[in-house]
Amino acid sequence: MDNLLAELQEIFRDIFDDDSLVLTRESSAATIDDWDSLTHTNLVTAIEKRYKVRFALGELQELKNVGDMIDLIQKKLAAK
Amino acid sequence: MNEYRWDDLSVGLKHSFDATFTSEMVADFARLSGDINPLHVDADYAVAAGFPSPVIFGMMSSSLYSQLVGVYIPGKYALLQGMDINFHHPTFVGDTLTCTGEIIFMGGALRQMEIKASIRNQHGKLISKALIRAGMHD
Repeated sequence: MDNLLAELQEIFRDIFDDDSLVLTRESSAATIDDWDSLTHTNLVTAIEKRYKVRFALGELQELKNVGDMIDLIQKKLAAK
Repeated sequence: MNEYRWDDLSVGLKHSFDATFTSEMVADFARLSGDINPLHVDADYAVAAGFPSPVIFGMMSSSLYSQLVGVYIPGKYALLQGMDINFHHPTFVGDTLTCTGEIIFMGGALRQMEIKASIRNQHGKLISKALIRAGMHD
């Protein structure tokens, strides 16, 4: 598991309150129970806070799964 | 009531207000919550348990966090989305409680802010602290 995926897994485990949650690049709202609009908001805020990045609404709407989110975070971090 | 919009807000914005609870309010909270634990409603029991008088419900004093978000930060357009609370000291009828909140993070994309908040009594004792997540409606 790469570092970013492992770090995101900790954020997801905290927000979903599930220490057994295993995150993969293919994880999405379709594969994780309880991923609703509020948990989505909490996830995005936690990620923005953790990595000190800002997402645009359009960028988030294009994300299909956790892998896309990782790619977006890496792109944001590389541009800093 | 404050009427901040998202663009009016910034990290560091802070508000505080005072509040005092009466014994009638405690009785009302027991009725509405259904929590009839004697520590909160029976003076003799509370004294026997080592407290000077009935202890105000933690969730009752924490209702001030609702006022903080709904009236002060951000006020009218608030959507309370979550809260983590830790209780530190008991509080009693007649205490003057000061509730303070400060925005510590604003998530841009989905417009969610984090507010660090606390409640202290008239002696400066920390009653509780909370990390609040709030959004806004149009």
